[in-house]
Amino acid sequence: MAVQVEHLWKTFQIPHERRTTLFENLAGMMKPRRYETYTALKDVSFAVDEGECVGIIGDNGSGKSTLLKIIANILRPTRGKVSVEGKMTPFLELGVGFQPDLTVKENVGVYATVMGLSRKMIKERTDNIIDFAGLQKFEDTKLKNLSSGMQVRLAFSTAIQTDPDILLVDEVLAVGDREFQQKCFEVFNRYRREGVTILFVSHDLGAVRRFCSKTLMLKSGKQVEFGDTNEVIDKYVYKLNETKYDERNNSEQIAPQEKKTRWGNKKMEITDVKFINKYGNESNNFMFGDPITVRIFYKSNAEVSNPVFGIVFYHQDTYCYGTTTEFKGYNTGVIRGSGHVDFVVERLQLMGEKFDVTVAVASSDYATSYDWHDRFYSFNIHNPTRDLGLFSLDCSWSGSKDA
Amino acid sequence: MLTANHIHELSRYRDLILRLAWSDFKLRYKSSALGFFWSLLEPLLMLLVLYVVFSNLMRIQVEHYQLFLLLGIILWNFWDRGTSMSIWGIVGKPSLVQKVYFPRDILVVSTCITALMMTALEFVVFILFMVIFRVMPGWTVAYFPVLFIFEFLTILGFSLALSALNVYFRDVQFIWRLIVQVGFFATPVIYPITIFPENIRWIVMLNPMALIITMMRDCTLYRVPPGPMSLAYVAISTLVVLLLGYLIFDHLEPKFAEAI
Repeated sequence: MAVQVEHLWKTFQIPHERRTTLFENLAGMMKPRRYETYTALKDVSFAVDEGECVGIIGDNGSGKSTLLKIIANILRPTRGKVSVEGKMTPFLELGVGFQPDLTVKENVGVYATVMGLSRKMIKERTDNIIDFAGLQKFEDTKLKNLSSGMQVRLAFSTAIQTDPDILLVDEVLAVGDREFQQKCFEVFNRYRREGVTILFVSHDLGAVRRFCSKTLMLKSGKQVEFGDTNEVIDKYVYKLNETKYDERNNSEQIAPQEKKTRWGNKKMEITDVKFINKYGNESNNFMFGDPITVRIFYKSNAEVSNPVFGIVFYHQDTYCYGTTTEFKGYNTGVIRGSGHVDFVVERLQLMGEKFDVTVAVASSDYATSYDWHDRFYSFNIHNPTRDLGLFSLDCSWSGSKDA
Repeated sequence: MLTANHIHELSRYRDLILRLAWSDFKLRYKSSALGFFWSLLEPLLMLLVLYVVFSNLMRIQVEHYQLFLLLGIILWNFWDRGTSMSIWGIVGKPSLVQKVYFPRDILVVSTCITALMMTALEFVVFILFMVIFRVMPGWTVAYFPVLFIFEFLTILGFSLALSALNVYFRDVQFIWRLIVQVGFFATPVIYPITIFPENIRWIVMLNPMALIITMMRDCTLYRVPPGPMSLAYVAISTLVVLLLGYLIFDHLEPKFAEAI
């Protein structure tokens, strides 16, 4: 067992008035101190085997970073126990202890020592580190004269020289451009092959899916799930653990827009639109490649013959895709009263983060709009692949070499 | 706590302690044209002023007064500098406290070593003065390193307590400045202990720094070995200060990362 966390609790005390001087403390002695207590972690327990790569996911404020800092011994638990076996290196921030007034070479020395490299190793590797960062020419330049990109590169190439048994990574990958992130992933792959145990906090579900066999999911400090990565991410995206989708919340979102973007003569009304996931639950979060059903509820105020329902997907202001019941040859028939129609997608091929949806119903000849909800609704897409853009094509690569 | 275990752990981190101390030391002189010479100039200027004032105006009669004064200033400066720099040892390095972990007293130890390096430079000036004024130390100078280690550990004890307290109470630094300034005059730095009447000398000598400085001067300049009682007192007071320092530090250390 490389890392074992048992019934871990962490409570922060946030005083209403912060007393930072002795005087304030003396003056305030008479008044009882009022604290806001904030429990960042509530009874978290899990174990990581040697060589395992575990992802930690959850919304902002769910306690991911606190957990990592407690494992790193930077914060101390309020209750519970953490045991760690092996040499641990935290990557919570790149370039810890960098001094702008020291030269590149001197900074490599200090930072590498902080990261736990021995003097001998530093001596041997300093040139390599500086080469790898592409800063040979700036060896004796003060750090403050380098661009921030160069500094990150220097920090990174120094940090990856460490050979830990356990690596703690907190969103380091969020900084830097795509090329840099790519480099990071290569290094993590190398570490993983070498059998290093990795704990990886990230918002990038794709990265977690690619690197981690197991995943821990936190929600406001509570451990919601710990197990196979694919299952946990599914649960995270589709919020399976949550009670029914909050209807009130939904209507609140719509209300302020109503004046602007809804029109029609209300001969027929769209009463609600729901996005339904592969588990048959309502959700606003979908995984790329999964099925989605858009269920449109309607109410007819008079007898209507063969009305046309339409749907349009927007990504920001880009009109991405639109279709109607009539285009797809679905006959709605004569409608009296209420009911619903389903727009069914077997494989969702959208990739952008968030899509807005317009839903409308009109007369069979499109001449009269009954009810038009312009970009009322939206859902989010989580893309586990590394493809870029808004859409995916069903495709593959092949090739042959001449002679 | 100051256990054999912890000392062993610190020794595993000696690379880090020295690297931090050395880089801090370099940083101090990095952007100044005169560089290291500043640290030589400072005690010399102070010596000049104090010498003129006290030997001519106040007519203090002490053998080798220049050397007496210079050694006093250097030893006092070491204590002043060590503790004052250490107040910032934790608060001044937030990323090393919040983003990585190593035993946090390393930050204080390395700051004290930086102060030690600066003091070592000043001793170069002192030795030069010894040669110029043709004062040869006797065998009693063998006590010098022992007493110097006591001074270093006393500084470390104070530094641990101050650095930890300053995380929670930021006015510790101002209070400490005041204490150091009063201490400079309450300690026999510029005058010999003999200016006090015999019956109240022991009160002045309760101050471990007074005893250390006096003994170090005696053994270096006047060939007088420290008395066994004084030596024992300094040894005990050093130990007490160091233990108290660690007690306070260890008590406050767990919440450093949250409070900084």
